[in-house]
Amino acid sequence: MKRMSRRAFVQGVSAGGLAVGGGLTTMLGASAARAADTSGYKALVCVFFKGGLDCHDVMLPYDQASYDAYADVRRNLLNGYNGIDGGSTRARNRLLPLQGRNGSSFGSRQFALTEEMAPLHDLFENEQASIVANIGPLLEPMNRSQFRDRSRERPPRLFSHNDQQSTWMALSPEGERYGWGGRFADAALLSNANANPVFTSISVSGNEVFLAGETAAQYQVGGNGAQTIREMTNRGLLGSGRNSDTARSLIDAHFGAESLSPTNLFEQDLATINNRAVTANADFNESLDTLAPFTTQFPDNGLGGRLKTIAETIAIRGTLNVSRQVFYASIGGFDTHSNQANSMPNLQRQISSAVAAFNSAMQELGVSNDVTLFTASDFGRTLVVNGDGTDHGWGGHHFVVGGAVNGGNIFGSPPPYTVDHESDSGRGRLIPRLAIEQLAYPLGSWFGLTDAELQAALPRLNMFETPPPIV
Amino acid sequence: MLRIRSNGEQFAVKQLVLSAVAVVALAACSEVASDAPTSSASSDDGSSGSTSTSSSGNLQTVAAPLVQEDASRFLVQASFGPTEREIDRVMRDGYSEWIRDQIRATPTLHLTKLNAIVAAGDEIERSSASDSFWENAVEGDDQLRQRMTFALSQILVVSDGPGSNLSDRPLAMAYYMDILTRNAFGNYRDLIEEVTYSPAMAVYLTYLRNQKANPNNGRVPDENYAREILQLFTIGLVELQPDGTIAPGAQETFENEDIVGLAKVFTGLSLKGGFRRDNPPDAYNSRLEVYPEHHSTDAKSFLGLTIPENTDAATSISMALDQIFAHPNVAPFVSRQLIQRFVTSNPTSAYVGRVSAAFEAGSFVMPDGEVVGEGRRGDLAATISAVLLDPEARQPAGVVADDFGKVREPVLRLTHWARAFDVVTADAGEERYLQNTSGPDRLSQHPFRSPSVFNFYRPGYVAPSTQTGAAGLNAPELQIVNESSAIGYVNTMSRFVRDDSPNRGNNVSGDAFSPNYLDELDLAEDPEALTNRLDLLLTYGRMSAETRSRIIGVLQEMPIRDDRVEEDRERRIHTAVLMAVTAPEYLVQQ
Repeated sequence: MKRMSRRAFVQGVSAGGLAVGGGLTTMLGASAARAADTSGYKALVCVFFKGGLDCHDVMLPYDQASYDAYADVRRNLLNGYNGIDGGSTRARNRLLPLQGRNGSSFGSRQFALTEEMAPLHDLFENEQASIVANIGPLLEPMNRSQFRDRSRERPPRLFSHNDQQSTWMALSPEGERYGWGGRFADAALLSNANANPVFTSISVSGNEVFLAGETAAQYQVGGNGAQTIREMTNRGLLGSGRNSDTARSLIDAHFGAESLSPTNLFEQDLATINNRAVTANADFNESLDTLAPFTTQFPDNGLGGRLKTIAETIAIRGTLNVSRQVFYASIGGFDTHSNQANSMPNLQRQISSAVAAFNSAMQELGVSNDVTLFTASDFGRTLVVNGDGTDHGWGGHHFVVGGAVNGGNIFGSPPPYTVDHESDSGRGRLIPRLAIEQLAYPLGSWFGLTDAELQAALPRLNMFETPPPIV
Repeated sequence: MLRIRSNGEQFAVKQLVLSAVAVVALAACSEVASDAPTSSASSDDGSSGSTSTSSSGNLQTVAAPLVQEDASRFLVQASFGPTEREIDRVMRDGYSEWIRDQIRATPTLHLTKLNAIVAAGDEIERSSASDSFWENAVEGDDQLRQRMTFALSQILVVSDGPGSNLSDRPLAMAYYMDILTRNAFGNYRDLIEEVTYSPAMAVYLTYLRNQKANPNNGRVPDENYAREILQLFTIGLVELQPDGTIAPGAQETFENEDIVGLAKVFTGLSLKGGFRRDNPPDAYNSRLEVYPEHHSTDAKSFLGLTIPENTDAATSISMALDQIFAHPNVAPFVSRQLIQRFVTSNPTSAYVGRVSAAFEAGSFVMPDGEVVGEGRRGDLAATISAVLLDPEARQPAGVVADDFGKVREPVLRLTHWARAFDVVTADAGEERYLQNTSGPDRLSQHPFRSPSVFNFYRPGYVAPSTQTGAAGLNAPELQIVNESSAIGYVNTMSRFVRDDSPNRGNNVSGDAFSPNYLDELDLAEDPEALTNRLDLLLTYGRMSAETRSRIIGVLQEMPIRDDRVEEDRERRIHTAVLMAVTAPEYLVQQ
């Protein structure tokens, strides 16, 4: 597929919000049935903000008129920010304006990130990151009147945490078994990407449907290497020399759940997981022993640690014998119904410092162009304030980070910071103008999937306009 | 005597069963025999993801265990773990009487213990409520009530985990735990009202000091509790049939406008003493108070009800809870989740239907003919009796289908071990490891400490890349099982099993959460007999041939030296117990 130029896309945005182009059907029709490209190395990293990131408190309006309107509707929250240590970081003169490449595409409107997001702001200005504005679950494009009169189909179970998490990760509500990350991994495995398939789809934050494919099974790794059963090592009493070889081999067979044949399906699953845990974790740790330490310092916080684990896993990609990987990490605390002015700054510092460190580590490893990180969340939140917090919304703004990203751009169309406009479903719960498919498509294409494979992984792709050239 | 809305035939059949040891075929009940396939939709709302095939039409209601293994399995479902003593009691009394005895037993509460700490002049610690949980779970005589508390805590979720404003509020937690404990055999309608007025829930779902709208500054009421009380605590998101299935074309149960309307109801509540300040020391363990000036005076419309303008807070809350509780989803929504917590992840729709019917009727006829429940819709004593005494629950483990059962929750794996071996003291103040078992290197689960209001796992979770997933089965607990947590569990248990305390308190000279293996030590030189005993206590006679032969094989390789008999016997016990509690047949309950 031939990508449209960035200029063409940006014009499309300023003209009417959505990208112009011939539509995906034309492009897909032209693609031949080839297998996914698995040359070189590529990794896709999903960082999920659990609870629903308040997009209105991440990317703020910067031009005076928009800022004033924002300050009016968010008066109660800004009062809260006035009370925090060091004074309000939402005061206009403390915001970090986004210049970027297409800063002039929005007429007189300007945008800014908060002070706590300085590291991400730097990445944006250095064209290592872009922002995708007002993106979220859609079944088909719709505006406010179509939302209200139900002439267009709404995504099911809007505003519900678990269902919208699932929809972001797997394009339908909770109960969906396969995520689009897992589908991408499936396609790579089908093209024999990885000699050791177990290390294709990796979570550092628990089991999530994003990573689940039909063949790609999710593998979980924690900090400080994969866990091992102490009793099986010579540190444990059972694995020590005090026991005979016969005893130790029986013990290994037991903990490794070898040669079991339970008939109960749950027991089968537990046996399989125990077996994989023992064998794969041993392989993983053997590879990890070869790792040289990074120069890059990761921040000492939860997400920093998790992204460091991903960075280390990428660093040992050669010994793990993989050429395509999909990763998932999450950070919680974003369900800011209350006390938002006190919780949001720390969360923003954490995510921006961790993501920036990850980007540096990728540069240090020389894989900056081969690793693309994107952020996601349950939903955005209301622009209207409930006292000292905000309630569940829909569309939100997200980041895409890495050397392959068309950096320094705000893709899509940031709606006005007021209520009752064309993209407002009520109280500033944004109706997305970009569907998740329009982010997933360019990421998958970059990852090496064919258009046919992308069509299969993203069945409603044709409902939407040509995705922006994010990567 | 009975107010039965449906399934009268089924109850009539059961009433014939009067013999204490009777085994009565229920095949006459056509509902059991013809378990209709359900919608394939799976959801968070407790609805069926698929239908178990284990209902074959030959279901039997069993009033009493025939063998000790049956009693042990019943106690795996109904308690924090079988003990020799409880197995004997179930054998003697039968299931029905055991349950009635448990319902009668004096509740072991939490707040009283924390207050006693204060009265003695000692400090309450952050973990004091959590410490009390372990103590009651392991040592409480009101086992079924304590299990019910734990099950309800996974529906009506509050959490004192990191990031929660409850992490330093043990009194609020203990007060909340007592609400669940006191109402465990009460009525669900009363329970959700007490929950609504609890400081813990108000803090957790952010309606403490929630205020009416202010058009002058654009403030609107917080929607958090309004949404989650509907989605997670009572009706779920999609219309359910009485048997928990989703009919084709089922609608979503509410729209965002309902949330906006209901949010107005939960305004004007705060701690006792004052809306913003002047709260006495016991404010967090006292019922919330209404502050009328902060309560919305608007009309409040939701779920087809409009509460007229200028209705006061208490009346508004009462009307709202009545309206919510009247929704036909409540019975199947709660019933299916309770079955999942006690018995099986994939109950048949017929099983859900029978438990729902008990919830609706507020009463249940036990296999021995006695009636439990007060006859008021939402009766939890009737509901839990229906869960545990259902023919599907009481089929012998040897005959259940391959998709029956559930992954044993990690917290229960620990308590089942602790009770089987009569841990000497469950005082978690002295075994600090018990103060946080959340990490994947521990249990990935800590009571009253889930990562969010969505619990540790979702009722509709289908695990990718698994056999259960391929069969379309729900497997909630598999959501916290992975390559890290599977091994974290083994390492955690190895410390406990060996009494190699992971983190014993500094001032503790004696035992802390120490197992008592006296009976097992007597069998150390008879590996066959020892294994049989472990099989009875831990796996109700279902230990696999492989596990059995591996345990015996290892033990036979471990010498008993003349000069170190005690030490070597102990090593054998530790090895055998650890192998038993890490075998798949222990990790799963059938």
